[in-house]
Amino acid sequence: MKSSYLRASAALACAALLSACGGDDGQLLLGGQISGVTKPGMILTNNGGSDYEIPVPANGTGVTTFYFPNLISSDDKYNVQVKSVPSNIVPDSCQLVNNSGRAGFNVTTIQIACEYQTQALTGTISGLKNELVLINGSDRQTIPAGATTFAMARVAQDAPYGISILANPAGQSCTIANGIGTMGAADVNNVVVTCAP
Amino acid sequence: MKSFLIRPALALALAASLAACGGSDKAEFTVSGSVTKLVYENLVLTNNGVQINIAPPAKAGDPVPYAFAEKLEYGDTYNVTVARQPAHQTCVPVPPPGGYYVNNADTAGRLVLIDINFDCTIDTHLIGGTITGLTASGLVLANGSTGGTYAATAPTAGTTTPIVYALAPVAYGTTYGVTVSAQPTGQVCTVVNPTGTMQDADVSNINVTCVAA
Repeated sequence: MKSSYLRASAALACAALLSACGGDDGQLLLGGQISGVTKPGMILTNNGGSDYEIPVPANGTGVTTFYFPNLISSDDKYNVQVKSVPSNIVPDSCQLVNNSGRAGFNVTTIQIACEYQTQALTGTISGLKNELVLINGSDRQTIPAGATTFAMARVAQDAPYGISILANPAGQSCTIANGIGTMGAADVNNVVVTCAP
Repeated sequence: MKSFLIRPALALALAASLAACGGSDKAEFTVSGSVTKLVYENLVLTNNGVQINIAPPAKAGDPVPYAFAEKLEYGDTYNVTVARQPAHQTCVPVPPPGGYYVNNADTAGRLVLIDINFDCTIDTHLIGGTITGLTASGLVLANGSTGGTYAATAPTAGTTTPIVYALAPVAYGTTYGVTVSAQPTGQVCTVVNPTGTMQDADVSNINVTCVAA
């Protein structure tokens, strides 16, 4: 009699464990790396189901590793697809690598790269007599003497931008107005660089 | 007693069959492969104590083939490793095309071709510093549009210890420019040493000072 109670409670504990894992009885991870996640709405599927929305990484780079909460079993077929993308991603732009196959071990090599919608970041310059170097983070633009306009690399929607002076022109000092912001759905063309004397 | 006779006989037969294999035509194996994404000078690979220097490709982005001059015989072991990393980069052995496992150490003859690939990445280093005077929430620092952001949490009232922060790592030779993307409520923060070009160490002097607006 005792044993049947034990069995029942063991089965219950087992069921509880399983449901904590997400309902699947697998033990293998299914995931990889994804880029293009700066806001909610990136939803992946496996074999047409198991919808999983990728949490937005805190460091703002949009690049994160991901694993489906549902574990899969050895020998399971998997086929990971992008079901929907956030509003700042070009629809159907995601490139997937190693996204389907049959699991032999933890699957950690899926690569998904999605393309951001981008906008131009441009402005005007006055008084520039020598070469000026402007940067927006890793984007570096050398502006020749006498230029009256400049263009930085295009910026992804919803990404911040912050234009700084890496190197002032020889003998001059420049200031930037409207150089900081967050890119919306329209081009930014009101950055003003003023150089003196 | 019999086994005494059998053993030398076997050894003789073995020697004979080996000689029949051609003696001078013994299979030889070249330890070779290629290095991808090498940009900077001074990569040295080593195998069994022999070192070779690998120069970056003439055309940026091309893989660099290499081969050790010393040939291996069947059964010789090899273990190709990085003896010296190139400047500003880190190279590691990677699986051959279509393979799953790194194959830089093995025994000659197990594979028809010894093809050991190395892949190099540009070294990255953190950028950051301290935030002092912050009393409100809302401060967001950014490194351009692709360098990531740092959202500061306001310290508990009375805390004066500076907050140590870091933004996403920046690759050697890449510029960085930290700006205040969003000011905290009722405060204005300024950044010192905000711009530069990454060298070979972490940058930790991009300090932020916040005062009442």
